[in-house]
Amino acid sequence: MKQISGLIPTYSSDEFGVCSALYELGGLVVMHDASGCNSTYTTHDEPRWYDMDSQIYVSAVSEMEAIMGDDQKLMDDITEVAEETHPAFIAVIGAPIPYMTGIDFEAIARLLEERNGVPCFGFSVNGMQPYTLGVSMALRAVVDRFSARTETALSPGNGRSRSGARVNLVGATPLDFAVNGSIQSMREWLTEHGFVPAASISLECSLEDIVSAGEADVSLVLSYGGLAAARRLEEKFGIPYIVGVPIGKAFSELLADQLGTCVETAKSPEKASYADIHGTGPVVAAIGESVFQASLAAAAALEQNADLRVLCPVDTEEFLLRDGDDRTPEEDDILRELQDYEAVVADPMYRVAAPEQAVFYELPHEAFSGRIYDDVNPNLINRTLQSAGFDFSGRTGRRS
Amino acid sequence: MIKAAIYGKGGIGKSTTVSNISAALADRGLRVMQIGCDPKADSTTLLRHGEKLPTVLDTVNQKKDQFELSEVCREGYGGVICVEAGGPVPGFGCAGRGIVTALEKLERKHAYEIYRPDIIFYDVLGDVVCGGFSMPIRKGYAQKVFILTSGENMSIYAASNIAMAVENFRGRGYASLGGLILNRRGVEQEREKVEILAGDFHTSITGELPYSETVQKAEPLKKTVIEAFPDSEMARAYRELADHLFRICQEETGAQNNA
Repeated sequence: MKQISGLIPTYSSDEFGVCSALYELGGLVVMHDASGCNSTYTTHDEPRWYDMDSQIYVSAVSEMEAIMGDDQKLMDDITEVAEETHPAFIAVIGAPIPYMTGIDFEAIARLLEERNGVPCFGFSVNGMQPYTLGVSMALRAVVDRFSARTETALSPGNGRSRSGARVNLVGATPLDFAVNGSIQSMREWLTEHGFVPAASISLECSLEDIVSAGEADVSLVLSYGGLAAARRLEEKFGIPYIVGVPIGKAFSELLADQLGTCVETAKSPEKASYADIHGTGPVVAAIGESVFQASLAAAAALEQNADLRVLCPVDTEEFLLRDGDDRTPEEDDILRELQDYEAVVADPMYRVAAPEQAVFYELPHEAFSGRIYDDVNPNLINRTLQSAGFDFSGRTGRRS
Repeated sequence: MIKAAIYGKGGIGKSTTVSNISAALADRGLRVMQIGCDPKADSTTLLRHGEKLPTVLDTVNQKKDQFELSEVCREGYGGVICVEAGGPVPGFGCAGRGIVTALEKLERKHAYEIYRPDIIFYDVLGDVVCGGFSMPIRKGYAQKVFILTSGENMSIYAASNIAMAVENFRGRGYASLGGLILNRRGVEQEREKVEILAGDFHTSITGELPYSETVQKAEPLKKTVIEAFPDSEMARAYRELADHLFRICQEETGAQNNA
């Protein structure tokens, strides 16, 4: 438990996870943090920053404000900005300084909402945990608060067939999916299989989409960050969910079939879609977010019989991993585990952690390396891995 | 589950009072948890015959998250579950942040769900000196705050500050003031003075403890009065107070559940 990264970068933080998840929804997102800390997010981890407006506001908390616990100034400042900009909601989120002084963000949100009449959220993140936690908290909160279902809508499973079923994509942020057309490809994949794309929560998504997410027939969970929101949609509206990303061609076909079954039975399966898919060929370490990497592993198994084993350094659950996959929360865990592998698929910045002789397949992950590799971050949705340049037989792997 | 926080000036007898209330309610057959929220970590001493308890913060410091709840939650008199948040040594670190971390750790380890106490008492250090010391009365923690005070001026002053802090938190969904507990010290017109304070904060004196040497006699025995002198007048006073506080909290919890 050294909690130290000496060779590799750390993942984007929980603070930025909240920002990323809420970016497109028309809210005022307030980082209660020292001045300058918003640019760490906007210039490194937010690919939409230069192309799409969003109200990301930093409170620029000063030393004296922190010492004096001046919540009132924070609330006055937020109110002033909100009166000028009329946001659809306000989210006040934590950072290391308020974490140390123990600020109660839920209470601040409650007071702000009472004062301004605008829906408010308080997120007790601290800037020191992975982005996955922040995405999860934010998506669950907005779905819980805004998603609705009209009385006339059909209950899930109530006479629904897979054809025409409306599908939410839950857990999409650029931190896991970059801005490389993956979401559009997922919509096209859904349409190809007779489904109707509903909300893609929350990339290429509006607040209206979040509201109408309650009308969907099924949710497809794309990441750990989407799991809590999908579970909330199930609790509130009975919308079942299934876990998996339609990566590769064969796995996408299989996932579409499982999605259809989920609609017809109106029941969430007990396992992730990829839980029982394993290859028996070349063994490859796949490092990253659990749902994405396990889906990649399933695609590689079905198309190339490769045996990808997921090493997940960020938040996840056993439910999202397969037998043989592992949690590797610390750099030491990664270094130790990688000694057993001759091939690795991971963000290019993991190259330094891989054994020198290992075949290294580069697969950029925005939450790990930021925008550095945006131009070469491939869209793997509903296309063969071979066509995306991945041959896990090792024949075409670039050696480090 | 009932949760109550007890505040008051340092040295006024909070831990002694809370321990006796806990013991009295345990004798009634209730499952009680007492959480000391003070770096001194001596809230539950009388319930454990002076035996020290590993604090939550020392344990987290040594073992990170790799510890069992049973390491920091130990049974004392009558099966009272004793917990000490702990904190830094005087002059170092940040005690307030420590309280936040300790209570969050207990919650993340599901202490309340696992032990399922009927009532939890947070015995909190002297005053709400910073954000951390408001933690026990935040939403999800205590529903009611009781302030222990004597008629001594400094004690009334501290009680007033605490009551003001509770009032300032109105609107945040925090605990509300359950009332004042008068711990008599033989001051002239003691009750009248505390009644004025209660009036200022639109509350009342919900319980009264007489000055008694029985408390001093029990202390060297490292026992509560309830355990050491169960037939004494003072034990009767503690039982009466315990029953009264429990009733107030029960009514509050019932009202919240019906809301």
